[in-house]
Amino acid sequence: MRAMTGITGRTGARIGAQARVAVAVTALAAGTVLWAWLPATGAAPGTRPVLLVAAFSGIMTVAQLLTEPSRLLDTWSDARIYEGLLPAFARRLWPGLLVLPWAQAMTVAALVLEALHPSRPWHTVVLGVVLLGFLVALHLAETAAGPAVLRPQVPLLAAGLALAALSAGAAALPAAGSASDWPLAVIAAVAALLVAVLALPI
Amino acid sequence: MLTAGPQRAVAVKWRLSGLGRSLVTFALTALVLAVITRRTEFAGLAAPALLVLVPRRRSGPATIRLTLAEGARQVTENEQSAVLAQISRHGEGTLRLKLHPAAWIVPGSATLGADGWHRVPFLAQRWGLRPVGTLEGILHDRWRLAEGRFVADLPAVTCLPVPARLDSLVVLSKLPARLGEHAARAAGEGTEFAGIREFVPGDRQRRINWPATTRRGTLQLNVFAAERAQVTVVLMDVSADVGTRGLSSADLAVRASAGLASAYLAARDRVGLISFGRRLRWISPATGRRQAERIMHMITVDHGDGEPLGMVTRLPAAALPPGALIIVVSPLLSLRLIEALRELRERGFATIVVDVLCAEPDVGSGLLRSRDRAMARLARRIWRMEQDAIRFSLRELGIPVATWDGISSLDEPLAPYTRRVLVNRA
Repeated sequence: MRAMTGITGRTGARIGAQARVAVAVTALAAGTVLWAWLPATGAAPGTRPVLLVAAFSGIMTVAQLLTEPSRLLDTWSDARIYEGLLPAFARRLWPGLLVLPWAQAMTVAALVLEALHPSRPWHTVVLGVVLLGFLVALHLAETAAGPAVLRPQVPLLAAGLALAALSAGAAALPAAGSASDWPLAVIAAVAALLVAVLALPI
Repeated sequence: MLTAGPQRAVAVKWRLSGLGRSLVTFALTALVLAVITRRTEFAGLAAPALLVLVPRRRSGPATIRLTLAEGARQVTENEQSAVLAQISRHGEGTLRLKLHPAAWIVPGSATLGADGWHRVPFLAQRWGLRPVGTLEGILHDRWRLAEGRFVADLPAVTCLPVPARLDSLVVLSKLPARLGEHAARAAGEGTEFAGIREFVPGDRQRRINWPATTRRGTLQLNVFAAERAQVTVVLMDVSADVGTRGLSSADLAVRASAGLASAYLAARDRVGLISFGRRLRWISPATGRRQAERIMHMITVDHGDGEPLGMVTRLPAAALPPGALIIVVSPLLSLRLIEALRELRERGFATIVVDVLCAEPDVGSGLLRSRDRAMARLARRIWRMEQDAIRFSLRELGIPVATWDGISSLDEPLAPYTRRVLVNRA
């Protein structure tokens, strides 16, 4: 057989680059979940199941990133005539699991985990920054794009982070968190409506 | 040289990108938690995601223009090829192309050339008429919040087998009277020295051997061997396909047949092919480049033509000219073929078998009871003895059987027969 040319060499380089990106995404996912979980004491009941959901979603996100759909193609169906029931079930279950939105599940779980802890505004803002970093890194890894593609969004992200910091500062004030916080509910409801409108199908 | 094919419009389906969906989830969750827990910092947390989502545009191009280059439709196993695509009217955002490969196709990364053509490399790993797969294009808007996708089917390619290497040819002792390149036993006008004889009137004077004439005292003449062409028929048995995929009996048979046909055609011989697969198909012996192309096409692509194997009682006489050398490439699993070989030998054809069976039946691997395993071992032993008996009976008939592993050159198994004279009784 003739030796494989070009593509295999390039595939090696691509796997190397993929591995580096996967390591970065894994580190950010682990950092997000850990930061949301810490400190382990003083949290409301139900922290452990949410932590498990967040960790599992993080692992599945990385698995999703590392598994190319083309590798799941059933090339040799006739080679699996004698396959056991359990391996066959696992083989069919895996592609189904990989199409679920694990990154979004991890986002929700991490935020809920943070909400189960007592109020700590600056900790929450740091979590938001790390989570945002994770989502952006994941998008870059999925689309094999460089950080330069996100240049138009940098001013908006900076402004948003400044607003988040402002809100954390406001929350840290002694008056915050009192009973007269109905304006916050109104602003949140309006913002939720805005998000829903933005998320409508194109 | 590549020629651009017709340009066609392909519809693009737009939706929120992965980043957009994640940001929406992030913002909604933070806002809901802000309301439920009455904690201001969660509302602030939604701000970056909300601000990034604001500039999202709803419109993108509904269709793009796709041009595929009509490139090489014929590749060889493990030879790199590429799909060339030109995409226009895709707007201001970024475009990424991805090849979703069909079976036995290994895709590479797409690159954009300076000429505006996207090059998507791929390897076809197995011979046959192979669909390449589908080409998916992913468009992102400037803000990377919307994602448009389009899919285009790619034309199939014909993947030729890698021919097995063969340098030394098996040549019959008696060759038909047709001008060629093999030195025959008969004297003629060739270039290979065959001996000397006494000069007789009418002989060419330039062939006088002066040293021999001086020694013997009479005029002696150089004699040269005639150069003749051989008629070779390759019988490719792909009726059974056993063994590891990529190195199965059919893979080996196809590569060996391609190698044999190429080597004999390169020696200016007349070469024919009989394909013994689901149906019996054949090409009568001929020589030249066109014949090589016809043979490679028949080896690679099965159009379903020919006679059904069940109706075949003997090999077609039209494909077996008298005096031909028959090289059979087979795993010797078809009793119908073995009967045909016996019949060939009875008709006086010089026949040689290249055995490409390199697998055993997988019996007993999933059995747990020791008694069942012992029975499986016994069954395998009986099968081996049966195979040995088939090969022994062929050797007894005067049909040599050479085993080829598919990795080494074909010269190795055929070496004992390149110097030994194979006699044709026809």
